[in-house]
Amino acid sequence: MLTDEAPRQGGDTKALFFELAAGRDPAVRERLVTAHLGLAHQLARRYVNRGEPYEDLVQVASLAIVKSVDRFDPDRGIEFTTFATRTVIGELKRHFRDKGWAVRAPRRVQELYLELGKATETLSQQLGRSPTVRELATATGATEEAVLEALEAGQGYRTASIDATGRNEETLASHLGGEDASLGAIEDRVLLAPALAALGPREQQILQLRFAYGLTQSEIAARVGISQMHVSRLLAASLKRLRSSVTEAEAGLTDRDGQAEPEAQSSSAPAHERRAAS
Amino acid sequence: MSERKAGTISVELSIPVQADLVVLARLAAATLAGRAGFGIEDIEDLRLAVEELCLSLVTGREDGRLHLSYECEGDAIEVACWYEDDHMAASARRAAADDLSLKILDALVDEHGRRLRDGRAGAWLRKRRSDRAV
Repeated sequence: MLTDEAPRQGGDTKALFFELAAGRDPAVRERLVTAHLGLAHQLARRYVNRGEPYEDLVQVASLAIVKSVDRFDPDRGIEFTTFATRTVIGELKRHFRDKGWAVRAPRRVQELYLELGKATETLSQQLGRSPTVRELATATGATEEAVLEALEAGQGYRTASIDATGRNEETLASHLGGEDASLGAIEDRVLLAPALAALGPREQQILQLRFAYGLTQSEIAARVGISQMHVSRLLAASLKRLRSSVTEAEAGLTDRDGQAEPEAQSSSAPAHERRAAS
Repeated sequence: MSERKAGTISVELSIPVQADLVVLARLAAATLAGRAGFGIEDIEDLRLAVEELCLSLVTGREDGRLHLSYECEGDAIEVACWYEDDHMAASARRAAADDLSLKILDALVDEHGRRLRDGRAGAWLRKRRSDRAV
């Protein structure tokens, strides 16, 4: 449980890619693929809540990892995980495009989406690039708004239509099937194991269903027989306990770089802020 | 709310942290990108990225609001997102994103970053129209 961490781009990985490039050794290839399957699981979990079975998404993502290993050029100067993430997301997008019809979209939207698929193929061949919304609207005789709505539905988003009926009060995070950001801060399993053991059996089960199996809070609620809000509260309380246990344990260790100070990922400020400052 | 100033289109949106409303955040981005002539591949990337941006700020939260601002200028669109609730101190600590979110955003957009504004956790992204071949 909680084992699928994205591998870091260490010197070993880089050396293996150079070795693979030099000799195309199948054993090296297999080691690289195996080492990065965790990333496939992580990404599959991220998009699990769109009507497609988790196992199918893992399969698509894992094949994308194989493809990434085969195509990666270590001389290009980017991390393999960045390259692989791009490839996996591309394959998952394609998968949803083809299979994402578990979504409860209105029939007219489904029909338009199928039409858009054909138009996209034709236009892409004609233009040599991805068509714009306007071009697709012209080709299908639909409005641009309808095209946007159908494309939204086609990606398997569960909330397919802006005018979908029924009010859903689930929280955004529970609905998207994403992974708690806080998990990143408690990824050190050496520290985590004793803290997990200190939780009650139900809390452990819920954490396992959430993070190891990628179930949403609603799915966990149905399986455990409690409300989604109750699951949410239990998860929050468990994570809080884990966090404080890990923090206490960390305090006893040597210095480690934390993530408490948020920093921009890019040196340039966003335009919103540049304008506000001027 | 939207306004137009000399070639720039600015839109602001404020939504509760609620699953069925994130569609508004995605659709606003897709609509602006569609108007700017982005190809549908880019628009799909943008939708995923906006969703990731929102998710990275609200994970584990059940209340509060997301404030989104969109600026579309020339061949680029920028989306900034801020989380606001009654517990600003807690919010501020959440500005750091997990590794996976950062990898996903790296894969989908040209630039992205995290910011604090008035104690609120925020994040932004910028995507340019690629006109990439298919």
